[in-house]
Amino acid sequence: MADASTASGGAAREAPRGLRQLPQSAGELIRAADVDTRLLGLVAALAIIWIGFNIATGGSFLTARNLWNLSVQSASIAIMATGMVLVIVSRNIDLSVGSMLGFIGYTMAMAQTVWLPQTLGLGLGHPAIWILTVVLGLVLGLLIGLIQGLVIAYAFIPSFIVTLGGLLVWRGLIFQYAQGQTIAPLDTTFRLLGGGPQGSLGEWGSWAVGIVATVVVVAGLVLLRRRQAKYGFQVRPIWATVLLAAFAALVILGAVWVANAYPWPENLANQYAQQHGIEIPPGGYIIPTGIAYPVLIMIAVAIVMTHIAERRRFGRNVYAIGGNPQAAELSGINTKRAIMWVFGLMGLLAGVSAIVQTARLNAAVTGLGVTNELDVISAAVIGGTSFSGGIGTIPGAVLGAVVMQSLRSGMVQMRVDSPTQDIIVGIVLVAAVGFDAWLRRRTT
Amino acid sequence: MVIRRTAAVLGILALALAACGGGGGSSAGASAGASSGGGGGESDCTVAVSWNNYQEERWALRDEPAIKAALDEAGAEYLSADAGSSEEQQATDVENLLSQGANVLIILAQNTETILPSVEAAIDQGVPVIAYDRLIESPDSLYISFDNVRVGEMQAEAVLEVVDSGNFVIIKGNGADANSDFLRQGYTNVGVPDVGENSDTITIVGETYTDNWDPALAQTEMEQFLTENDNDVDAVLSENDGMAGGVVAALEAQGLAGQVPVSGQDGDIAALNRVALGTQTVDVWKDARELGRAAGEAAVALCEDSDLASVPDTQEFESPGGNTLTSILLEPIAITQDNLDVVLDADWITEEELCQGVESGTVDVCP
Repeated sequence: MADASTASGGAAREAPRGLRQLPQSAGELIRAADVDTRLLGLVAALAIIWIGFNIATGGSFLTARNLWNLSVQSASIAIMATGMVLVIVSRNIDLSVGSMLGFIGYTMAMAQTVWLPQTLGLGLGHPAIWILTVVLGLVLGLLIGLIQGLVIAYAFIPSFIVTLGGLLVWRGLIFQYAQGQTIAPLDTTFRLLGGGPQGSLGEWGSWAVGIVATVVVVAGLVLLRRRQAKYGFQVRPIWATVLLAAFAALVILGAVWVANAYPWPENLANQYAQQHGIEIPPGGYIIPTGIAYPVLIMIAVAIVMTHIAERRRFGRNVYAIGGNPQAAELSGINTKRAIMWVFGLMGLLAGVSAIVQTARLNAAVTGLGVTNELDVISAAVIGGTSFSGGIGTIPGAVLGAVVMQSLRSGMVQMRVDSPTQDIIVGIVLVAAVGFDAWLRRRTT
Repeated sequence: MVIRRTAAVLGILALALAACGGGGGSSAGASAGASSGGGGGESDCTVAVSWNNYQEERWALRDEPAIKAALDEAGAEYLSADAGSSEEQQATDVENLLSQGANVLIILAQNTETILPSVEAAIDQGVPVIAYDRLIESPDSLYISFDNVRVGEMQAEAVLEVVDSGNFVIIKGNGADANSDFLRQGYTNVGVPDVGENSDTITIVGETYTDNWDPALAQTEMEQFLTENDNDVDAVLSENDGMAGGVVAALEAQGLAGQVPVSGQDGDIAALNRVALGTQTVDVWKDARELGRAAGEAAVALCEDSDLASVPDTQEFESPGGNTLTSILLEPIAITQDNLDVVLDADWITEEELCQGVESGTVDVCP
């Protein structure tokens, strides 16, 4: 750490290589940029998958429309996977997320179609309905999660058992509600949370979000540099910071550009034009779609969860517990309370996903969320979360969810039938974990 | 009533747990889940139903009450068990129901093949078997169902009436469920090209099975097909209402709902509402209450005389497996915007449910 540097007192200490000495090899570049190699590997895998499918499908995979679809289809699993990371990091498991999601989704559907409009007398389409429904869903999720967490942490029943019970209980309760009837259609405002052209930010909203995000990321990198320098930590070379900032800006603004490159479907655009008295130009009226709300929700969740995991005491405690439960307890961490809140958080996120899924389908069905627990756990694990505890990142899990959905979606396009899809996804899951373990053995 | 029963079961479990606590003995995994319906006096006719998966929309709401009503009328007893979509559990259920003294067995089979040993066991004990809604490949069983090939024909006929050429998408149900293929057969019968083929006028631009008839999966499939074909899809044949819901959600996102005809079946409330709204073209309605009543009455008849030929209104049915079965096949009804009054008159759905969000003046039955 204390390498000699040319800078005089107070200035940032440079890593071994100076500003002008650029790296000689890719390995050196990665080391100097100080990025998570596992995350980098995942990005590379995703790139290979995307390009591979694009070639295999004759160029119909990497289109704005398909990537937009992919982002919306991944959102629900990715949201829950961020919570599953903390659950698995703390050496637990949550098998009940799919059933919780179904139960919460069903309750919200009842609330917005029956309880609020009829029992409370708000009437269908009242503007408060979607807000009350969302709040109900989130509170219910948190409560369910906390109850399971309470039993796990304080009654010393393994989480595998408690959540296996939860899987059965919540699914069973769905049926008790309304004899398993499908509830549809849902509140029109609520439905926007599930995406679709109307449920998206639009062109300028998306650019605004993209630019703000870029500024925040660049400012964050600069601030991090200053703080590291202040406390005498080794900092990245200037060129690495610049490169990283440029790369982040490219990814963020590129994603916005892709989302905007997908225009509203012709029919909807024409309807919109007619309603607003806009004359339709010869080439058709083009409205860029922009980032869909579920994707925006997913990104917000990922940022908040990353902050919780890496910057808050609660998050650090969870990693400490996963790394060594006894040591964590002896060092004064209230492990039981932390575990309970990990499951509370997981329940809350199942509530968020329930909003996205029911809104997207515009219905609550009894099968809502069935086997989602497997997808969520797979996403977290493909994203580098270790079952031995203490290791796992939120961005990794989000990428894991995108990898899974990319595989599924690409295979559907290639007309691979669903049993073969299962076989391939299963092999990929095991291979990803095997590769991860091999990497870890090599590097330590 | 459900709550009281649940409480009672929990009470029993608590006692069992307390008993186990002392010695740490092994617990017997009894999970028959049988419940006696009337609980009244002795009866010489006990009819048992083995459901494959009670947690689906219609069984509890429509079928079971109709079966029970028919049995009550004749003073027969009702027993049931739910296999929760498991073949093994269903085999256990049948054994349990037989040992509880069932005189007639009604089976909604999870799997038409693996149920055969259970059916043979029942028939060997002199208990006649009714294959309810789903075929069982045993010539000794009485097959009571709606004509599923006919359902497929009706779906395709209604869609072809709106659009008779162009690009078609076919969203099929579970690949392991024989009904998926019966329905597909119906499509072929009325002029839709067979699997993997195209005709002069109709091109199939997308066809897929859907695991567990999952609506959310059907939505993703439909989105994929629309993306691939750049929205150039003229009609969608969806095998049931749940999946039709997913399909319509995908079409709605492209502003195509109401322009592309979509089929369905089951008479789901939400689907009938879509028919009224114009976003779903046809809902082939199989009044499950008719089916339940037919099964209940047949069961009572079999209690009197276990010879299948003694049941009234039966016909011969050639099964795909080459068996000649005694069967009762009911005729479904295709519900479109023109005859929505049928489901209203049958008290299947309330006017409020049917007409939710429908603009006045667009459909006759909605004010």
